[in-house]
This record gives sequence, C-alpha cells and structure tokens, in this order.
Amino acid sequence: MICASIDKCLHGADGEFRLGAELEVAEGEFVALYGPSGVGKTTLLRCLAGLEQPERGLITVNGESWLDTAQGINLAPQLRRVGYMFQDYALFPNMTVRGNLEFALRPDANKKRVSELLDLMELGALQQRKPETLSGGQKQRVALARALASEPRMLLLDEPLSALDAEIRVRLQDEILRLQKHFGITAIIVSHDVGEVYKLAQRVMVMEAGTIVRQGTPTAVFCGGQTSGKFAFTGHILEIEAMDVLFSLTVLVGSQIVRVVASRDEVQQLQQGDRVMLVSKAFNPMVLKLAD
Amino acid sequence: MNRLRGNIVAIDHNSHMSLVDVAVGVEVFSATLLETPETAAYLRVGNAVTLLFKETEVVLAKNLSGLISLRNRFSVTVISIERGAILSAVTLDYGGESLVSVITTRGVDRLQLATGDKVEALVKANEVVLSHEP
Repeated sequence: MICASIDKCLHGADGEFRLGAELEVAEGEFVALYGPSGVGKTTLLRCLAGLEQPERGLITVNGESWLDTAQGINLAPQLRRVGYMFQDYALFPNMTVRGNLEFALRPDANKKRVSELLDLMELGALQQRKPETLSGGQKQRVALARALASEPRMLLLDEPLSALDAEIRVRLQDEILRLQKHFGITAIIVSHDVGEVYKLAQRVMVMEAGTIVRQGTPTAVFCGGQTSGKFAFTGHILEIEAMDVLFSLTVLVGSQIVRVVASRDEVQQLQQGDRVMLVSKAFNPMVLKLAD
Repeated sequence: MNRLRGNIVAIDHNSHMSLVDVAVGVEVFSATLLETPETAAYLRVGNAVTLLFKETEVVLAKNLSGLISLRNRFSVTVISIERGAILSAVTLDYGGESLVSVITTRGVDRLQLATGDKVEALVKANEVVLSHEP
C-alpha cells in the first residue's frame, strides 16, 4: 500500500496554485492520473519518485517512510526503488541498449536480470544498438525495460506513449500491461488519453488545479452514467457530407476510420476536427467472430 | 437526435438489465438498458432524465390497429416534410415538443403523409438512450 499526501506550491500559466493531493494505491494496483496539462500530475509523480520535494508531505510505502517533512525524512530517489518512464525516453545516448539496462541495475542485482528483460521484451536483437539508431517505439520499449531493470516496487509512467503513433501506442500499452501483471508491480500512469486509461487502469483519479476531484473505475468516472448508451467511442471528425435529409460523418476513432449517419441538428454545431462521442445502444451492434 | 424530458416512474431489473419507465407529461415511455440501479446511481424513481432516440428509429403509422409489442407509441401531428431522393425527414409535433422521424420517401408516399396529418409514432424500447445531468 502506498499512502501519499503532498502539499506544494506550483506556478501555473494562470499564476500560483497549490498541489494538494492525497492518494492511496494498493499493492499491484494500476491507477491513472487524468486531467488537462498543468494541473500538477507530473509534479505529483516527481514527488513520489523523490525528484521534487513538497513543502509538506508524507509518503509511506508498505509502512516504510519515504518522506515525512515534519520529521525531516526524505529518502533519496535511488533508495525509493521507483521505475520512471518519461515521454522523451531519457536513454543514455552513449550506451547500448544492454548498457542502458545494466546501468539501471541495483548494485547487488544479478546481471541475469538484464538478459531476462531483453528476452521478455524481445529486445535481444537490439541489445548492442545505440539509442539513436532505434525508432521511437523501440526506444520507449528500451525505456520500459530500463525502468523495470532496477526491480522497482513502483512504476511511474509520465505520458510515456503520447509521442508515438496510434498503432505503436496500442502495442506498447499491451506490453506495459503484460509486464505490470508479470511482475505484479504497482503502477501509476499520467495520461490524458481516455482509451489508454480504460485499457490500463483499474482506477482513475481526475485532477484539476492541483487536487484530485473525482476517482473511480474508468467506467464510473468517464461514463459517469451520463448516458445509458454502452457503446461509446470518442473520435475526431474528418469530414461532414450532406446526403438527402441526413449527413454522413467520417470519424477517426483510434486508428480506425468509421462512417456514421447524423441528423441536421446533430451536425449543426460540428465542424471538421471537432472531438465527438459516438454513442449507440448496447443492443445494436451485431457481433461477428473473426478468423485468427 | 430526438429529446424528451421526463421523470423515472418505475424500474424493473434483473442482474444486468433494466426496463425503465419514464413519464413525459401524461404518457409513459420505456427504455431497456444494460444497466441496473446498482451500477448506475441515476436510476432512481423520481429522477429527471432525458430520453434520446435517433430520428431514423422513429416509425410512423396511420390507422394502426391490432396488438403490437412496441413499448413506445404516441400520437403526433405532422408539421412539415422535407423530401429527399431516398429518405425524407418528417417533423412532428408532440404536445408542443418537436420530434423528427426519418423514413424512406417511399414510406411517406405510401402513407400519403401531408402536413397536419395525425399519425402515430413508434420507437422500440431498446433504441431509447437515457441521459441525465451528472
């Protein structure tokens, strides 16, 4: 169990505000911090990792105190056993893939862990390569392997996939989920991709201006029971075309393009590029099994 | 999208599904949902909800007789008809609320629909979405 209470003054675009967040995360749980940019999500992660210190705060992990500002306790980042994955990879450019992983090992660690991780993530063929020769998706897989190399007790993921294209993002989400389950590690991801939150997290905490304003399962938080339509996807409008008395909307949902029919009053306030939610009743879709 | 505001008057449910009755004025509409009062807090008798249903799911009938399994059946007046090559949009008055039915232009001709006609509108309960203020 991770218990954290963080109080820190932040400087946002609209002036100063307080990061005042309390969170409890169970062992092995995967939670998401969701919210717009600049509300303190990254700072909260950095405080957990020990990369930043709050004015007042308390972090205990399985009863062990990592931070207690009242007692003057502040465990150094390398002693917190946290695996951190950033959007910009942050790999060492002068080291090979294997070198990056070895560097992250704990001093008393068995070197075999690196080979195990390379195998587990199918990075064996790339192990002698330097980061600059890798694609974005490959770099981020190496970053994930490196985050796990230190045998962390907590995995902190700060929008790790937002720079990648949709297809690679989906593959890496699968990978993150598989490894998180494999190691049974507690994970916290910062994301503003609803699909990603749904896929990865058991619980989502919505942050606004430094505080957690809502939390629950992704379904409870995002559907919030706002409509009873179960078949709901968010997407972006690519094209609006009139046809007879109705309109055809071409919508990009994830990496798929779908066409739906909309009425005039639905289309009236819409334009190309708008974000929309497509909702249908759970009764409507027909389900066809696909060949493997 | 057609919208009608109402209040929940009854909820029948099993472990996964509910049949929700919503009073709109003096008439009661029904919606089948893949939710229950346990999974959706807004499903409470008395709560205000909006019924949403797509224009293309509104069936129109004239001089309808006999039994029909459809749950939602209500009298409307044709306000206007916009004819297209394949489909037509029929705007309807339902007790001061404006609703739209999109049916085939052939259907409009077969029913010989004209402005001022009194017809019946029908919507299957499983085509009705309930929306509520969070």
